[in-house]
Amino acid sequence: MSSIDGKNGKQYWRSLDQLADSPEFRQFTEREFPEGASEMTDPVTRRTFLKLMGASAALAGLTGCRRPVEKIIPYVVQPEEVIPGIPNYYATAMPFGTGAYGLVVENHEGRPTKIEGNPKHPSSLGGSNAFMQAQILGLYDPDRSQRVLHKGVSKKWSDFTAAWRELYPKFVENQGKGLAILSESFASPTMARLKAEFEAMFPQAVWATYEPVTDETLFEGIEIATGQAYQPRYHFDKADVVLSVDADFTLMESENVVNARGFIAGRRLKTEHDPMNRLYMVESMYTATGAVADHRLRLQSSQIGAFVAALAQELQAQGVPVSLDAIPVDGTAHFDKKWLEALAKDLAHAPGKCLIVAGRRQSPAVHAMVFALNTALGNIGQTVDYYPFQDVERPRLSSFTDLLAKIGNQDVNTLVMLGGNPVYDAPADMDMTRALKSLQHSIHLSSHVNETSKLAEWHLPQTHFLEAWGDVRAVDGTLSVVQPMIAPLFGAKSAIEVLSLLITGKDGRGYDLVRATWLPRLGELDFEQHWRKVLHEGVLENSAATPVVPGLNSESIRAYLQDHPIVVKSGMEIVFYASPATFDGRFANNGWLQELPDSMTKLTWDNAALMSATTAKELGVENENWVELSYRGKRLKMPVWVMPGMADKSVAVALGYGREAAGRVGDRVGFNTYRLRTSQALHFDQGLSVTKLPGTYEMACTQDHHGMDTEKLAADQIQKRLPMLIREMTLSDYQHHPDQIKRIKEHDRQIAKSLWKEPSYDEGYQWGMVIDLNACVGCNACTIACQSENNIPVVGKTEVRRGREMHWIRIDRYFTGNPEKPDDAEMVYQPVACHHCENAPCEQVCPFAATMHDKEGLNVMVYNRCVGTRYCLDNCPYKVRRFNFFNYTKATPEIVKMGMNPDVTVRFRGVMEKCTYCTQRINYTRIKVKNEFRNGTRPDQHIHDGEVVSACQQACPTQAITFGNINDPQSQVTQMKAINRDYEMLAELNIKPRTSYLAKVRNPNPELEPVAVPPTTDDDHSGGSHH
Amino acid sequence: MDAVTAEKTHVDAPLIQGNPTFHDVSEKISSLIEGKTPPLWFIAIGLSSSIVLLLLGSVGYLLWEGLGIWGLQNPNGWGWAIVNFVFWVGIGHAGTLISAILFLLRQKWRTSINRFAEAMTLFAVICAGLFPAIHVGRIWLIYWIFPYPTQYLSMWPNFRSPLLWDAFAVGTYFTVSCLFWYVGLIPDLATLRDRATTKIRKVLFGIFALGWRGGNKQWKHYELAYLLLAGLSTPLVLSVHSIVSTDFAVSIIPGWHTTIFPPYFVAGAIFSGFAMVMTLGIITRKIFGLEDYITIRHLENMNKIMLLTGMMVGYAYGCEFFIAWYSGNEFERFAFINRAFGPYWWAYWSMISCNVLVPQLFWFKKLRRSIPVMFVASIFINIGMWFERFVIVITSLSRDFLPSSWDYYRPTIFDVTTFIGTFGLFLTLFLLFVRFLPVIAMAEVKGVLPQADPHHHDTH
Repeated sequence: MSSIDGKNGKQYWRSLDQLADSPEFRQFTEREFPEGASEMTDPVTRRTFLKLMGASAALAGLTGCRRPVEKIIPYVVQPEEVIPGIPNYYATAMPFGTGAYGLVVENHEGRPTKIEGNPKHPSSLGGSNAFMQAQILGLYDPDRSQRVLHKGVSKKWSDFTAAWRELYPKFVENQGKGLAILSESFASPTMARLKAEFEAMFPQAVWATYEPVTDETLFEGIEIATGQAYQPRYHFDKADVVLSVDADFTLMESENVVNARGFIAGRRLKTEHDPMNRLYMVESMYTATGAVADHRLRLQSSQIGAFVAALAQELQAQGVPVSLDAIPVDGTAHFDKKWLEALAKDLAHAPGKCLIVAGRRQSPAVHAMVFALNTALGNIGQTVDYYPFQDVERPRLSSFTDLLAKIGNQDVNTLVMLGGNPVYDAPADMDMTRALKSLQHSIHLSSHVNETSKLAEWHLPQTHFLEAWGDVRAVDGTLSVVQPMIAPLFGAKSAIEVLSLLITGKDGRGYDLVRATWLPRLGELDFEQHWRKVLHEGVLENSAATPVVPGLNSESIRAYLQDHPIVVKSGMEIVFYASPATFDGRFANNGWLQELPDSMTKLTWDNAALMSATTAKELGVENENWVELSYRGKRLKMPVWVMPGMADKSVAVALGYGREAAGRVGDRVGFNTYRLRTSQALHFDQGLSVTKLPGTYEMACTQDHHGMDTEKLAADQIQKRLPMLIREMTLSDYQHHPDQIKRIKEHDRQIAKSLWKEPSYDEGYQWGMVIDLNACVGCNACTIACQSENNIPVVGKTEVRRGREMHWIRIDRYFTGNPEKPDDAEMVYQPVACHHCENAPCEQVCPFAATMHDKEGLNVMVYNRCVGTRYCLDNCPYKVRRFNFFNYTKATPEIVKMGMNPDVTVRFRGVMEKCTYCTQRINYTRIKVKNEFRNGTRPDQHIHDGEVVSACQQACPTQAITFGNINDPQSQVTQMKAINRDYEMLAELNIKPRTSYLAKVRNPNPELEPVAVPPTTDDDHSGGSHH
Repeated sequence: MDAVTAEKTHVDAPLIQGNPTFHDVSEKISSLIEGKTPPLWFIAIGLSSSIVLLLLGSVGYLLWEGLGIWGLQNPNGWGWAIVNFVFWVGIGHAGTLISAILFLLRQKWRTSINRFAEAMTLFAVICAGLFPAIHVGRIWLIYWIFPYPTQYLSMWPNFRSPLLWDAFAVGTYFTVSCLFWYVGLIPDLATLRDRATTKIRKVLFGIFALGWRGGNKQWKHYELAYLLLAGLSTPLVLSVHSIVSTDFAVSIIPGWHTTIFPPYFVAGAIFSGFAMVMTLGIITRKIFGLEDYITIRHLENMNKIMLLTGMMVGYAYGCEFFIAWYSGNEFERFAFINRAFGPYWWAYWSMISCNVLVPQLFWFKKLRRSIPVMFVASIFINIGMWFERFVIVITSLSRDFLPSSWDYYRPTIFDVTTFIGTFGLFLTLFLLFVRFLPVIAMAEVKGVLPQADPHHHDTH
């Protein structure tokens, strides 16, 4: 419990340190967590994870005043001191793989409570994704490691320092012989500097880098094609035609936030005359990006190499100067040749204005070929830029393999692991457990006492990035300082501090280490001034590198393909993918992410063996059936989930589940698929066999409950109903009949007449929202942002299975097409939150008048008046109301409470809740505007357009959500509502929703038959439920 | 007056058989209260009160843990609790109908069954009233439903909400039914007081008989009061279930939003109420040997009413389907097709079989007069009417407008125990009633005996 040691120089904390050292207290903290963890073995209690008692009471008492002592600079407001109730915003950055996301973090009285993207950062541009949003909960995870452990016994940092000092002279003497470091990949100047220092100090030492999910194949492919590795940065906004091969670039690939932003920018339509890009998708899984594609070809991942080779041939045939000879393909891939031809034609017609991207799952050969094709199409430097690696530690599986070999040969006797969890996530053929046991010394720095920590000699608690100093580089080289939002909660240290200790044998402060790196960069002159500016802005201006145009070396590609021929085998393949919830397992203990419905399957709290409907039928399995996957002599029992639209004979399994030592939330959630993953085939491979086992496994899905949608009656009805709920059309249809949607809207307004005089709502602010269905990529960032902003509880798998998830905004996803041929289905997303109907059905039926309309058109929920009849829920046609069936927040760990938004009430059991249009943000702005007017810093006291931003709107990477005053003709939301694609869902009920949607438009190639687009014809104005 | 005269003057069989004297009536009915408690009664109340304990346990756990212990979920904000509420309220309709409407229509055959039918009404309404009270999230604030002046809430409840109307409608119905029942009891209580052999009976019956002496003037006032209360109750019989039906009809959910609901619900309520009177009547009649008082004629008349109301609900089922189709509204159409052929088809066809097919037996005189047939039929109708409410409440909610929110509602064990528990409560109250109060209105039965009208002034 040295967490609260005297380093901060405050007497107050020192005295608590004494308390923390008392035997009773130690026993309390030590006993607390294993006990909590054991509760999670019972799935019923998982729902109550927030109820379990968490961090120690003493820590909770400290939580009020943990601002870091070093100077950090507020981003927007710069107060003399913290003003209670007024949040401060600080810029920082979240390191992730070989890149980083710039963040702006909202702080309330020194406690970070909400994360947004930093508009100035090139990898977030103000948007965010679910992982970024969920970091608040990750920071306050009560299961984070709180103490140094030596062989499982609690120690102090000083004990570790002493232990290292014993080893240190030996390693200094033998230049680090026998010493090895295993790190995760990073892009950090300070880490890079320290690594260089480390290598200078210990030239004989080994440095290996391993992460289970990386862009290694991409870097390798570029290296093959150009002789050097670069990081690509795509400009989807500049591409008219995009081909994605196995790349879920809007959700799971690197740089997904800006990818999504750019891709949607290329298809944002204000009028029917605007240009729109076209996305072709070739993939084995059905991904979120595939869902927004205009054309989608489902193809096994192992056939995609052959597809790219065939595309190269076809482009060549169509006159594109592809400098690749006939690529030898062993075997035949089966796909629609017409599709390929049309695609090639489309690409060939857009030289320099098209883009081919390949996913990290594909082989280096595919990435090299894709580079060659992009070169031939003139895209390099146009729609894709390449940046040299700076301060980046590239992931290299080979370095990890070598390390294990050296450990096996006794060449390494001391291993320091800076983060990571190789015991859990190393390929199954690499026995990390045995390696650790054979080492003399193993030291593991980790945020949690995870699977690896349990086997290591020393476990060191690692800081969360929100509580430690650091620095990062974005993919384009832009530098940011990671500034802490709070002093370390659990007395942990960061990787740079530990690395510095290893090098010098002395404790170093992260703050000093980072400043030492930045001193030469910013110059000694005016350093403080520049430093403050970097902290304030979150980025160092003009630090982006100049992109290079790497030359293509086709000879090298040819040689590589000679050695690594493209082989197409038939048979069942297994595909591994990083989970959109837990990523590689690192976020397994994050309840928000675990409970986030997957964009595609809508599953929560589990992974499953995903397969197409056809494959499932062939195997004779259904949702929730047990199957045994056997592959290369390894077996894993998993439940099946049918994912219509996947490639046949392809089984996809998410990584990052089945953790044994994640914490109270993540333990034993799902199935550990790393057990099937070998270093020969990290991403996909043939040779899987699937055997049906008896019995079923219960899964918690938020949409297709218990496979009901497979029932014919329902499936047919859904297809009939969808065109009324989600208006969708093709671009050419839109151009020919631009007003078709508008006419339906006008028709609905005409028939929906009230018998009485409605309130007019034409004064003051009238809040409204528009959601552009054409811009939604289903990434779920809004859902987590809302959860964070509005203190929405996590309810657990059992409750989700019962249909009691609490999300205020959900992403509905529907399959459109012929229910008889589910695998040909297209997919549409529709975010749904409270529509704030002017004529709200919920308001009329509440006997307690607990839900009312205010003057500004908000459908407000008065929690104090709510007695919980749930009549409003019944009468809500959108079913967006959420009821507290239990006291979901009863015993939220104190530490988690720190991350809650103090501006939003926490709801008690028996009370209804729902989206408020972020009423707290509206009122915060209203007060701020009034104060500014009173202080004379503002000419009027009107809230200007764009001053109130809802949490979902702010998080959305594609700006699909627009919110504002619909009574202001100039506001963006009013202008969006004037677009002729604007429609109100269920408007015929005369409920007058304030949230409207912009119809979805797809841009299919006229040469190809569009797959199952619902008919949108002229007489559709009578569509809807009325005649 | 002998049997031959009776045969001549009454086309139908006499209302009361065995030709008892006034004294015989008093003896017979009072003996049920004054005699030794039959051992069967102890067994029965032991059983039923254990079920009450089950109810108390279930409700206690509900209050402790929250509504989550029930099967409620997102689209199904209402579940078994509301189904049970409507079911019990429906059952509570027969009593007042028999007492009030049949009284106003001068249906003298009602006299043998009105007392226990009214009692049954009260107990059913008690069971019904339990559900809306415990099904709210914060039961400790339930009194906010009443428009009492308070600064705390700073405003009135929402008078536009059908749940508020419900509170008034059911509350009024219960109060008036209680009064009506009690007023009807007064002459009989006086009889019991006069016959009392123990002190405690003398005092208690004495208090509740309100000094009744059977004088001419008292009878005159009494009968006027009774007539007025009957007049007051009559619209309530129609209004209560009409208002209960607005809980659904006023909403916008397909399958609920239907103008046929008020008459359809009233017919259904009478239907189910009579079925319950029948079930209990047959048992009581058998156990206490009241065959002469509750005769086949009474039972047959009730069967005729069930045949009529059964066909009314059958018509409503058909009409709903027709209108759903005729409206052209896709949501409405699907709501009904889904009822019959969706995942809850079994509930729908249980309802149709029990409520529409089973009463058709009563077209045949022989079946209509067969005790075993009508007993079984009445139980089926009770089941069918529960399913009707289940179909309305559950299927409509489980698949409403947006397919994304569709789900399949499943009750939990606590839904089941709470429902069974209310049967325990109902039976316990009923058993206490038959043991301590006259099951049959002695004074009224005496009034329809032939000797009460020696000059045949009042033949019907």
